[in-house]
Amino acid sequence: MGAIGYLYRRTLVNRIKMALRRPITYFYIVVILFYIVVMPFSIKVWTEQFSIDSPEGLTGVLTVFAFWLVPGNLIAFAKRKGLVYRNSDVHFLFPSPVSPKRVLVYAYLRMLPSQILINLFVIFCGLAAFHVPGWKLAVWFLFSVLLENVLEGSIMLLLYGTERLTERQRSWIIRGAYGLVGVLAFIAIGYYLREGLSFQTVRHFLHSDAVQLVPLIGWYISVIHLLFGGVTVVNTVGSLLYLGLFAVLVAAALRMKCTGAYYEDAIKFAEDYEEVLASRRQGNTDKRLGKKRKFGKASVRWKGAGAKAIFYRQLLEYKKNKYFFFDLSTAFALAAGVGIAWLYVREGGFGEFTPFIIPAVSAYLIFIFTAMNGKWAKELASPYTYLIPDSAFAKLVNATAIQHIQSVVNAVFITVPGAVVMEMSPSLALLCILGYVALSANKLYALAVAEIVVGGTLGIVGRQLFQMFLQGIAIMVALFGAMLGMMTAGLELAYLLMVVALLLFTAAFMVVASLNFDKLES
Amino acid sequence: MLEVINLTKKYAKTLAVDQVGFTVPDGRVGILLGPNGAGKSTVIKSIAGLLRYQGTIRIQGKDSRTVEAKRHFAYVPELPCLYDALTVREHMEFITRAYGVKVSEEEIGELFERFELTDKQDKLGNELSKGMMQKVSICCALITSPDVILLDEPMVGLDPAAIKELKTVILELRDKGCTVLISTHMLEMVKELWDVTFVMDKGHILGTYTREDVANEDLEELFFAVTGQGEKSAESRKAQSAAEQDSAESGR
Repeated sequence: MGAIGYLYRRTLVNRIKMALRRPITYFYIVVILFYIVVMPFSIKVWTEQFSIDSPEGLTGVLTVFAFWLVPGNLIAFAKRKGLVYRNSDVHFLFPSPVSPKRVLVYAYLRMLPSQILINLFVIFCGLAAFHVPGWKLAVWFLFSVLLENVLEGSIMLLLYGTERLTERQRSWIIRGAYGLVGVLAFIAIGYYLREGLSFQTVRHFLHSDAVQLVPLIGWYISVIHLLFGGVTVVNTVGSLLYLGLFAVLVAAALRMKCTGAYYEDAIKFAEDYEEVLASRRQGNTDKRLGKKRKFGKASVRWKGAGAKAIFYRQLLEYKKNKYFFFDLSTAFALAAGVGIAWLYVREGGFGEFTPFIIPAVSAYLIFIFTAMNGKWAKELASPYTYLIPDSAFAKLVNATAIQHIQSVVNAVFITVPGAVVMEMSPSLALLCILGYVALSANKLYALAVAEIVVGGTLGIVGRQLFQMFLQGIAIMVALFGAMLGMMTAGLELAYLLMVVALLLFTAAFMVVASLNFDKLES
Repeated sequence: MLEVINLTKKYAKTLAVDQVGFTVPDGRVGILLGPNGAGKSTVIKSIAGLLRYQGTIRIQGKDSRTVEAKRHFAYVPELPCLYDALTVREHMEFITRAYGVKVSEEEIGELFERFELTDKQDKLGNELSKGMMQKVSICCALITSPDVILLDEPMVGLDPAAIKELKTVILELRDKGCTVLISTHMLEMVKELWDVTFVMDKGHILGTYTREDVANEDLEELFFAVTGQGEKSAESRKAQSAAEQDSAESGR
């Protein structure tokens, strides 16, 4: 086995081993399995509702994906931005005597496992929701994983690895890709003008002959139509053109000379990627790949002394951000709030689950978004934090204050739309908001407690297990309180006891968590 | 032998390196010196094949961009970046496969022994300290038995024992006929190693000095004399002491 094969295999094996050591992985596996099993059935309901539960329907769905993926990849490769290299590749792989073409193929192959998973999901949906014969899906799987990957890999090699095309010529390819999208848009407008806006028009457009003759994207769509829709003159011609293009591009990619001139662009991208990763690890979600973060001008009126400096510095940083402290979690909270309200109106309530739907969705979102490594955790890594002449508790309060304010905003977004349509009493809505804030803080501090108690001895795995244990106790007590309240005085007391239990645990966690701010060592 | 001929590199409109040329023969240790922003990193990255450039770079007479040239070449970057999911041992295995070299277990064990990595063999890349990473990076370069080796600030992050060992290794490489090029700011560290020094500033080589030619001159003095930084720092020291004297007098 060559060096690239060895690197690929060992990295994959070690990553799987590392993941299996983390308790959180098993939770994610359960969530993913849940989605894999549940989604095809919900897609089945959806396809029946729109009468697309046939192979023709799957062809339409795959055609839409082709519109999105094919030009996107083409543009990314032409910009030398579609492949992800890490700084370790720059250190070891780029200066080594491994052919630069192989180095490109290595980065491309790293995307293969996820592609295979997506294709398997399509097969699952094809069988369950679109009633496509198994053999056709098997052929499609082979076509998609082998033929399409070899073609796309060749395009990637030719665009990414080229040393003959100038920057200007590559920019023309990017324009060409946009041009193809333009042609598709032009055809779509034609259909709209002729037939008006309806589901039937979309269907006609997706299966039109004109679309199947658009170079590259259309020829790929022709193959899908040939496979799932049966033989027509147009899809046969399109498929033959696809095969012709395949032969030409693969031959050109094999013959192409590549000495690694692309390394310079790949290094820039790798550095950017590492920066984004580091930023995400710190809990910042607003940094985007390939986009330099811009900070606006802002000022803040500093008040007080000691640990308050941490709060005002964070506030100043947030004010310089384009969206202040609003991030993806805020958008999701708003979407979830509107979604709950819309579903409530559409379904006419959620039956016996109605009172608990907002806390349940809140708990799910908190689990997804609240992390130990939020912005406040950066304070723990800075030696200056420990030099501030103030108590550890004051430092903790000031370092986390903005995160709690953000949590209140998210809680309002997720609660208010549903509370309005459900005609919830203001006190109950307030308790919902408090519940969200308390649970969010609870998770944050539980992990911080785990850090201080077992972080130094048990490492990441032990820390996560301990955090789950701590939070498990808090949630169990909160649920017990809710049940007790429900049995004795009804919903309001149930909410109140739940929130009080969570707040008490949060306060206790907070006191222990403040020890994190005592010494850098801790 | 390492040959750099008319190397020019532009970043957009900025000329980082302009017509740079130098040669380090077999069995010699070359030092690339220069203040921050002199263009050393650009030269080093160009030699390592990481940048597009104009000009010619030859490693053992072959174009540095060819796979054949790279087989003779090893590179230790300033900041080591190990694979998170590979162990120290696996890094070595990967490198020997990439360079197509046959290395015995004993040779790897010996290298680990020299750099005190024996008990770290099964540690993953992300479990090592910066100094340990640098040691792994050096071992990976040495295991290929290079004919030309490029070390960018190799002493940074190393403990005194490892620095001593690295110096010994560099002299051994030199004695075996290997071409060594070191880029560093730590002049003290390379005092006993260098055979030829290239002083760079503002993208140009300002001077080339061999040990034979400047036998009695101190490397540090030479550097400051060529770049003019010594005068600048002497002037700023004078200005600072004058300012301190003024403030002391006004305080009285």
